[in-house]
Amino acid sequence: MLKSSPLRLAAATLLVLALSMAALAGLTFPPLTGRVVDAAHVINATTMTRLDSQLQALESKSSIQLVVATVPSLQGQDIDTFANEMFRAWKLGQKTTNNGVLLLVVPKEHQVRIEVGYGLEGTLTDVLSNIIITHAIVPRFKQGDLSGGISSGVDDIIAVLSGDKTNWVARQPVRPDNRSSPVNLLVFGFLLLLFMFMNWRAQVSGGRRASMGASFAGGMIGGMLGGMERGGFSSGGDFGSFSGGGGSSGGGGASGSW
Amino acid sequence: MKTLLLRLRMVLVLVLGSLVLAGCGYNAIPTAQENAKAQWAQVQNQYQRRADLIPNLVATVQGYAKQEKDVLTAVVEARAKATSVHIDASQLTDPAKLKAFTDAQNQLSGALGHLMAISENYPDLKSNQNFLALQSQLEGTENRISVARRDYIRAVRDYNLSLRTFPGVIWASTFFRSYQPMAEFSADAGAATPPKVKF
Repeated sequence: MLKSSPLRLAAATLLVLALSMAALAGLTFPPLTGRVVDAAHVINATTMTRLDSQLQALESKSSIQLVVATVPSLQGQDIDTFANEMFRAWKLGQKTTNNGVLLLVVPKEHQVRIEVGYGLEGTLTDVLSNIIITHAIVPRFKQGDLSGGISSGVDDIIAVLSGDKTNWVARQPVRPDNRSSPVNLLVFGFLLLLFMFMNWRAQVSGGRRASMGASFAGGMIGGMLGGMERGGFSSGGDFGSFSGGGGSSGGGGASGSW
Repeated sequence: MKTLLLRLRMVLVLVLGSLVLAGCGYNAIPTAQENAKAQWAQVQNQYQRRADLIPNLVATVQGYAKQEKDVLTAVVEARAKATSVHIDASQLTDPAKLKAFTDAQNQLSGALGHLMAISENYPDLKSNQNFLALQSQLEGTENRISVARRDYIRAVRDYNLSLRTFPGVIWASTFFRSYQPMAEFSADAGAATPPKVKF
């Protein structure tokens, strides 16, 4: 009985995890095919091309990734959670500066949200996001002009983001992501020192076997270090195609409905 | 010569041993624990951020709705109580402490919800620019709280799982005996998503 309880606990934990994964996996997002992802098919062609060039210009000027998305349904989730999960799945914004913004429109459920990445929370604040939604977006949506609402919303977001250049350049590195573990580095530093010492001992004594052993193990360490570096480095993506830069969001921004 | 070889062999065993350890997920437990602690700090930050908004909010509402003294006092008191309950990252293994924290915060959420509801009765207040700004800041903060809570729950699951599953369970029962599972937020729906402040 006593012996089986940790096992049972482990099984229960696994089950809970599997269930929560399933709940998360339950949300499906359209693929990030470009800067405008119109999965609900509500944006007209002229607006689409105009938005795309606007957003591209914004990114090449400031590295900010602003993406416009429409989805047919929230899949039973509230828009705040849905937008946050979608933002994270798409990894909008650069990895080090988290400077992404997502404008999400759900026409059928009459909901809209501006989700702001960590790094831009100080520039595109909740209050400003709210003002943009209530003044630039919602009035047009109410008249059924989805393309018009989206494009005036994007105009305003870009105006806020590039309004005071000196200000936002100074503010950029708000929350760098730091994933490398100091414990790993310490262990490897210690091992490297050890090998330097071993090599030195081997050279002093001139022992053939010893130096062989040291260089073998040294090679292994080298291999591991190389592997680590390769694992930690994420490619920036090719030119031409668009992909998220690795940024994240903590729920900044505002939501609205019409 | 012999002693040198012996010593070298020992060093080699030590080194290979630590490589094997690292390969077998020895680092996973401390890494997951640090991650969960960091996420907890984020949860506390966001609750603090909400608490910081309240004095300004109360002052603004007071200007328009002096007669709602009871509601205003309830918010101020709930805020005082909520900010007095702090959880150190090392106390996260104690479910009772976490519950006390959540209860205090939930009480504040309730009082805030009430305050926002009565503000509907004051048209002047509702059109006040300062109030509107505070309102959207509060909404944003409530959302950040729920994101931070979700992240914390995930991080704790990862950590607890690393303690209870292979290969972590080996390290948990040998080198990492002091690493206890952390408490999750209680499972009831009201606690998992803080009450939304509706306007």
